[in-house]
Amino acid sequence: MARLRDTAMNYCDACQKAIATIVVMDLTEGAVTGSQHVCQACAEQLGVGAPKAPKFSPEILEDLLGGLKQPRKAVAHTHLDSCPGCGLSVVDFRSKGRLGCPRCYDAFRAELMPLLQRIHEAQLHTGRLPAVIGTPPAPIDGRSLTDVRRRLEDAVRGERYEEAARLRDELRKLERGAAT
Amino acid sequence: MSKSRKGDKSPEWKSGTWLAATGPEHDIAICTRVRLARNLQGFPFAPRLDDAPSRQLYDFITGRLRQSGLPEPLQLLDLESIDELERSVLVERHLISRELAGSKRPSGVAVDADESVAVMINEEDHLRIQVFASGLQTEAAWRRAERLDDALLQRLPVAWSEEFGFLTSCPTNTGTGMRLSVMLHLPGLVWSEDIDKATNTAQKIHLAVRGLYGEGSRALGDFYQVSNQVTLGRDEQQIQADVLLAVGRIVQWEREVRTALLRGSARVRTLDRVQRALGTIERAQILTSEEALGCLSALRFGREEGLAEGFDIPAVNRALLLSQPGHLQRHTRELLRPEERDQRRAQLLREVLGLSR
Repeated sequence: MARLRDTAMNYCDACQKAIATIVVMDLTEGAVTGSQHVCQACAEQLGVGAPKAPKFSPEILEDLLGGLKQPRKAVAHTHLDSCPGCGLSVVDFRSKGRLGCPRCYDAFRAELMPLLQRIHEAQLHTGRLPAVIGTPPAPIDGRSLTDVRRRLEDAVRGERYEEAARLRDELRKLERGAAT
Repeated sequence: MSKSRKGDKSPEWKSGTWLAATGPEHDIAICTRVRLARNLQGFPFAPRLDDAPSRQLYDFITGRLRQSGLPEPLQLLDLESIDELERSVLVERHLISRELAGSKRPSGVAVDADESVAVMINEEDHLRIQVFASGLQTEAAWRRAERLDDALLQRLPVAWSEEFGFLTSCPTNTGTGMRLSVMLHLPGLVWSEDIDKATNTAQKIHLAVRGLYGEGSRALGDFYQVSNQVTLGRDEQQIQADVLLAVGRIVQWEREVRTALLRGSARVRTLDRVQRALGTIERAQILTSEEALGCLSALRFGREEGLAEGFDIPAVNRALLLSQPGHLQRHTRELLRPEERDQRRAQLLREVLGLSR
């Protein structure tokens, strides 16, 4: 579903009482397959209303999240609608600005990267990490190869060559590991 | 690690580290705090946890914390076993957050004997390690937090990735998960109306400046907290350097302004302000929390600059803490109406400062 502001005056399809200010469109592979004119209150009930103010660091994040609050076109269909780890929906992530579990970092990557850039002016950790020996292993599963490949593509597209070089090495290492 | 059980009396707090008024720059920098946010693999972040897994997580973490060999001997306080008043006392002592105090999830805090370490369990992140040091001591606080973090990383499967560092519920903490804060007392900058310019210098390098007491942007009692906002793309040493740079400038500025406030025609106005605060504390029968903070700020300043005597700085710090609603009511062991609190506060401040007539 995508949310668009409508300019025409219609009554809400759901409650028939208030003026509809939002058009909820059903999109299937980019094509509009249905639409509903609803008021703000009914839109919120449908889970597509304007996101509520984020709870965290309101003084900065109101501004930061601004970009995510803009109505989006078909972008939302190019990645996951919800996290396979915890079931958090992309709509919830957008409105609350909170991740649901470690796997959300992967699931909502496309949403997360620009958000991290706005908050930290960075997208890559440079601080300390747990020492490898004696610590429980990091979560590595079958998705790692695809994940690293995608990160590498992202880095190249974003012209972050240092990161890309590091990812290339990581990918080689993983591929060697997978082959043995 | 020992555990306080239901029905046990909550600990009698002796002295919070920040009360001691020791450590570098302690006349202006009251206390330094390092907070590290950590989460475990295999569980959703705390806000997405249902009751059963939330309990499971809590039991798992507390079980691991009880294993021997932690660099800090910690006592676990189960928040379900203590009432609202005791929780507010913990908030006022900066040991737990307001959010954790209001939490319905199984939650707790593991604290060391002198309240310089507090590990919150099941807050917005599964673990929030906090280390406090008196005065401006970013390096010492960081080293201690790092050591405890190392020990916890060996006991718990913490969620992290090479790319994003430590994975946290809120993207504002992703990366180091580190928030380094310094609590500052800045009456000179407030009185000379330079405070906005001073806080702007910190904000320019992406640090947050907030009032320590009071809601929103109003800083009651001229107490401020400067902390880093950026946790990703800057390492722990850079974060310390950023905070030290800004705090160093603000402290120096505060000192310059204080010198100016004690010179020439400004001196009598400054002295008047301090002595009026002393008069209020000595005589008032009703003191709101806001007025008390204003007076205590003036007394702290006056004592540091030799404009008032008869009490010491640790006593002022203690008065700041004990005059807050949770401590006030705990002291009298009964719930008080706001006007009763204001009467009790007026009396208590004289006692704590040794200014009883």
